[in-house]
Amino acid sequence: MTDDRESILSRVRGALAPLHERAPLPAYDSEIAVLRSLLAGRDLAELLAERMRRVNGLALTSPAAVVAHLRAGGHRHGYCDPALWPELAPHFADGFTVETRFDRTRVDEYAFGITRAAGAIAESGTIILKDRTTSSRLGALAPWVHIAVVSRADIFGDVTQAVAALGEDRNVVWCTGPSKTADVEGILIEGVHGPGEQIALIVP
Amino acid sequence: MKGQAIDRFAATLPAETRASVYQSTKATHEKRTRLLFDQFADPDRLRALAGEIKQHAIENLDTYLPQAEARLRANGAQVHWAGTAEAACAHVLRIMRDRGATKMVKAKTMVSEEIELADYLGRHGIEALETDLGEFIIQIDHDHPSHIVRPIIHKNRREIATSFEREGLGAYNDDPATITRRARHHLRHKYLAADVGLTGANFLSAESGRIALVTNEGNSRFSVAATRCHIVLVGIEKIVPRDRDLGLLLNLLGRSATAQDLTVYTEFISGPRDPAQPDGPEEMHVIFVDNGRTEVLAGECREILRCIRCGACLNVCPIYRQASGHAYRSVYPGPVGAVLSPLLLKENFPQKADLPKASSLCGACHEVCPVNIPIPDLLLRLRARAKEENVPSPGTPPMGPWALLASQPTAWRAALVAGRALNVLPTRLIPVPALQAWTASRELPGWRGGEFRRWLKARRRPAPPAR
Amino acid sequence: MLNRERTPLTGRRVQLMATCLCDAFYDDVAAATVEVLEHAGVEVAFPEGQTCCGQPAFNGGDWPASRRVVRHTVRTFAGEDPVVVPSGSCAAMLFHGAVLEFEREPDAPAVEALGRRTWELADYLVNGLGVRAWPGRYPARVALHRSCHSRGSDSVAAALTLLRSIAGLEVVEFGEPEQCCGFGGTFAVTFPHLSGAMGQLKLDHVRAAAPDVYVSADMSCLMHLGGLAAREGRPIRTLHLSQVLRDALRGGEAKP
Ligand code: SF4
Repeated sequence: MTDDRESILSRVRGALAPLHERAPLPAYDSEIAVLRSLLAGRDLAELLAERMRRVNGLALTSPAAVVAHLRAGGHRHGYCDPALWPELAPHFADGFTVETRFDRTRVDEYAFGITRAAGAIAESGTIILKDRTTSSRLGALAPWVHIAVVSRADIFGDVTQAVAALGEDRNVVWCTGPSKTADVEGILIEGVHGPGEQIALIVP
Repeated sequence: MKGQAIDRFAATLPAETRASVYQSTKATHEKRTRLLFDQFADPDRLRALAGEIKQHAIENLDTYLPQAEARLRANGAQVHWAGTAEAACAHVLRIMRDRGATKMVKAKTMVSEEIELADYLGRHGIEALETDLGEFIIQIDHDHPSHIVRPIIHKNRREIATSFEREGLGAYNDDPATITRRARHHLRHKYLAADVGLTGANFLSAESGRIALVTNEGNSRFSVAATRCHIVLVGIEKIVPRDRDLGLLLNLLGRSATAQDLTVYTEFISGPRDPAQPDGPEEMHVIFVDNGRTEVLAGECREILRCIRCGACLNVCPIYRQASGHAYRSVYPGPVGAVLSPLLLKENFPQKADLPKASSLCGACHEVCPVNIPIPDLLLRLRARAKEENVPSPGTPPMGPWALLASQPTAWRAALVAGRALNVLPTRLIPVPALQAWTASRELPGWRGGEFRRWLKARRRPAPPAR
Repeated sequence: MLNRERTPLTGRRVQLMATCLCDAFYDDVAAATVEVLEHAGVEVAFPEGQTCCGQPAFNGGDWPASRRVVRHTVRTFAGEDPVVVPSGSCAAMLFHGAVLEFEREPDAPAVEALGRRTWELADYLVNGLGVRAWPGRYPARVALHRSCHSRGSDSVAAALTLLRSIAGLEVVEFGEPEQCCGFGGTFAVTFPHLSGAMGQLKLDHVRAAAPDVYVSADMSCLMHLGGLAAREGRPIRTLHLSQVLRDALRGGEAKP
């Protein structure tokens, strides 16, 4: 199979050759896009909770609150990261079925998924998932409710900081609220392909 | 056919379609503006900066493309280069055949629409299923998107419900929540059964080889969570120098497109899944697509390559609001499309040379563009090119005679006096098409040619002569 | 977006570019401009050879024809004195459009120089001369049309500064003020449906605010909107900014 690498690059060079000078890369302070007045003096976990509410997400601070929320929603069957389960299991009383391996052939059976988040962004109400910290991409995506366990210390203030911390992971995803669409007549509907409820469990 | 195609199209657009396109573009534009100006002291500064970064990137593609390629390779991705639409489609087909793959799930990508990938794969026996809700509906209806962010902005819920019923997705129900729920259940099994997930890329960082990809529905995330092979189609102009530039651009993209601080899912992908991760592609292919972009880069409208496909220029455009997207006969409608679509046609430019004329040059597009593209200037350049290439333009008054008159003061003054005929002759008897077009819907003011000059002369205190 | 370099003002002499539209239809606007400038202590010259700024052909894509007219304009408005135009659109043609179409022409510097000393009327008064308050009286509710060529320039703010300072004058707001009226030069005749539909939207918003007068720094927009409204049999009263300024000096104008 022939590849057009050389022809494309030579067309690029040809196109750019007549330019007397190339546009310079502007120097700028990333601070320019930071919502500094929003962040000033705020506790990041509190701000995260506030900003998550703004995008119809929810931040909770105790496993008991998560369990109560799931029970109230009738979500009894779920997936949990095997590394998190030992600590969480005591909070899940009878009536819950929790699996620590996500079986894709039974995708419809999982009503919730609990995975570890690599961090969060307070400014935008965002949860950060990375391949190395998320036990299952599908487990965090397919169930109706996604609960991401975020350590306080991993909460970034703003988007700029989170970009700087993308790191070496080959797959990072930022989730800002539940999956949504406004395709049909501009009406907001949540839970299109991903979770209809995006929850952060903020832990110390 | 008389008149301009876009004008005719707009005149025959159903009132209901026009009303819904108008309302939703206006609402999105107003939300976008409120958000940006509430949050930032000077959003225009951000737009200018983002424009400079992208301009720098496209003017240094010769450096950045090989750099991104090397990083992607180092991360375990395979990189392919496609000069044309056909080459890009052929790359995809070959990758699939090499794996014995027959089923693809597609996230929304403008490039795949531009190269008509789904049709191509269909002809070669491969199912390429659209997963964005709007695009899915377009696909089952054999329709075309009419907006780059809101593909079915031209459809109402009743039409969608009818299509779903026809496709066996449940009894007629036009409740948007029900429609969405049904699509959710239908599509998730398609993801899980697919061999390949195809996405676009909103940005490609040369520094890290990361592609940044945004969706609200999570369909691209599902495509790369459920399948074993990820193919990325990326226009070569999507490159940005560094990861930190992604921060600024993402901040602007969500706000400009849908008035969100960030789009719900923002993915950064620089290679196949981590070995510790059970889900997702073990193979990643990135196809760099040219398909006319290097020609655009060589021309005087290269600024359009900064575009980040946010749709803000469509939402604010008074022409788009009246005519809707199909009027532009192209994957890229609205102001950005009026520039990009004819350019991407290369030597077939004349086929869409009418698009740049469908503008009052009001400049609203420039004012909202997150990368500050001077769209009106580019429209003007393309008008000049159309004239140079002698592309016929119905209804455009000839300017040669006027220019002759306007460069000869004596003749000009005589014409000012002669124009008084307009006040006595019925305009319908004057065979000037522009006059006819004007007076078809508007009164013409009374002709007072030369009156000002007489007034000035008659004053006691005559104006001093110019030096 | 049309921010630009400007030659600093020195004296109080200007050359008036009356615009082809005023030359042909709106003599009173040009006359009012003269009186307003003179009231501001400015000596006004009127180069007789002037015709048009070249914009119709520029927008129509016939740049060779447009350049022919621009060259004539450059010759006509020679010298150092600033050029003042009662039109944001013609001013923008000279400081922006003409510069674009002369990019590759040897005489581009002369065109750019003209652009640097060209001012829209309100911009000249407020930002050039430093006028902050306009004397006189004009008892009326006035809506200001933001013409698209003043988008991103200082003209809208300047016009508002002047209008708001006039005794008795109330500036009224209306919906979607930043939306185009649909004139667009040849666009109005080449795309009559779109142009008309845009004009209707504008008229709806303006009528809803029920101003006594609809005022603009550009007669072209008013010609289109006024023409549409008149054809419908529901005329709106339109005036150029210069007419309001002049009439304010005369204590306002009796309402029709
Ligand atoms: S041209 Fe600018 S406003 Fe229009 S879609 Fe592209 S980035 Fe957005």
